[in-house]
Amino acid sequence: MQEYRKISITKEEIVPLAEKMRKNGVILAMIHGYLNKDGLPNISYEYQIEDRIESYTIEGEKELPSITPVYDLAAEWPERELNELIGVVFTGLDTSKRLFMPDSMMDGQGQIFVTPMDELIKKAHGEKEA
Amino acid sequence: MSYIVPIGPYHPSLEEPVHARLITDGEQITDAEVFIGYNHRGIEKLCMERNFIQTLVLVERVCGICSHSHALTYALCLESISGIKVPKKGQYMRVIVAELERLHSHYLWLGIALHIIGHDSLFMHSWDDREAIMDILEDLTGNRVNYGMVTYGGARRGISVEQKDRTLKMLDKIEESQKQLTDFLLNDKTVALRTQGVGVLTTEDAIRIGAIGPHARASNVPVDVRIDAPYSCYDEFDFNKAVYHTCDVFARVVIRCLENMESIKIIRQALDSLPAGKINMGNKIPVIKPGEYMFRHEAPRGQLSYKVVTNGTDHNERVSIHVPTFKNAPTIPTMLKGNSVADAGLIIASIDPCFSCMDR
Repeated sequence: MQEYRKISITKEEIVPLAEKMRKNGVILAMIHGYLNKDGLPNISYEYQIEDRIESYTIEGEKELPSITPVYDLAAEWPERELNELIGVVFTGLDTSKRLFMPDSMMDGQGQIFVTPMDELIKKAHGEKEA
Repeated sequence: MSYIVPIGPYHPSLEEPVHARLITDGEQITDAEVFIGYNHRGIEKLCMERNFIQTLVLVERVCGICSHSHALTYALCLESISGIKVPKKGQYMRVIVAELERLHSHYLWLGIALHIIGHDSLFMHSWDDREAIMDILEDLTGNRVNYGMVTYGGARRGISVEQKDRTLKMLDKIEESQKQLTDFLLNDKTVALRTQGVGVLTTEDAIRIGAIGPHARASNVPVDVRIDAPYSCYDEFDFNKAVYHTCDVFARVVIRCLENMESIKIIRQALDSLPAGKINMGNKIPVIKPGEYMFRHEAPRGQLSYKVVTNGTDHNERVSIHVPTFKNAPTIPTMLKGNSVADAGLIIASIDPCFSCMDR
């Protein structure tokens, strides 16, 4: 059975850890993230070490250093996705172009703001708010 | 003079929506960019609003090709969080369907690739075999696409003696047919001209970008979760990691042919040594404990990973889905560079993309 270990880290440890992992030939399986009940990001760097996953987790930080210079595209896409979907800012990451969100919805960084159906219908018919 | 040639999100040479901008010098691609997100359905958000039983049904609909893989990986996460033990027969049934799904997916890809290459007779040959596999999946599970085979703590259905015989008979037919197909593919001039030296992804680039699954194995990177981190009884079967060294579209064709033979081998072994006993927990309703887990499964296109966070209620706190295409799509610009615009459709298709899976 695949093993999973969760380890808490600080913001300062992210890049040195990535560099150490890269040097040891460890695969970055994924960077996962979500907003907790308080609306704060929970980001975990999942490293694949032999048959186990070591999940280095950092909670409550809205700005993190990018590990794209260390892990290249293996980190770039997950970081860009998290930046567009939950608004985490990765320092050093090029976000000048969109990856996931339509250009028209990329108003800076941030979460997807879903336009309710009734508002879309009003907009389609050129109607204004009462 | 340099031109930008846009492809997609909807284009005749693409099977699914993705947008690529090709920067060209004459006919040659000098650089490329890929943009995703055209089929976003908010599945992860929906998972947070449904209970575990409903989520199992929902995640099976993330993808129409690897539906079993999604349900299986999600169930494996919850079973790992709660320490639920799956009976051996249940694990075997899961593996049988997973490998049939791999066969069906690989034949689908071979057919599409051959159609793009322009070899429609081999495309039909490939899809004829796929049809036989889908018939068996329908026979075993009642469905051709969303099999509904996985439940917490096991599989939903067993297999009768007659079904086992029909499956073995189908495997004999497919094996013979696959040998013919491999022979054609390795020796056909059209296939060679369109695939050899096209869309090269070197071993170094595959590792640097983090390619996975058959796409990585075709670049000589030996990664396969079934062997590297075994689960669901995969360690009880004798099979090999298919790896090829030419790193081009041809290698991706060869890998699928080799993997089809390995999948046939696994299904035969599973059917021959199918244990007796229960296939699931019966009428017991599983209690899902609070916790989190990330599980990886070797889906037909590569490593599929689910991270599930539970909070002690019957709802997920978070379900994060990352599919092989998310790891393989970043390799597209590297593969496109130096090739002609005419090959762009084939090169993009060569990663066996599932953009609806990726956008989820």
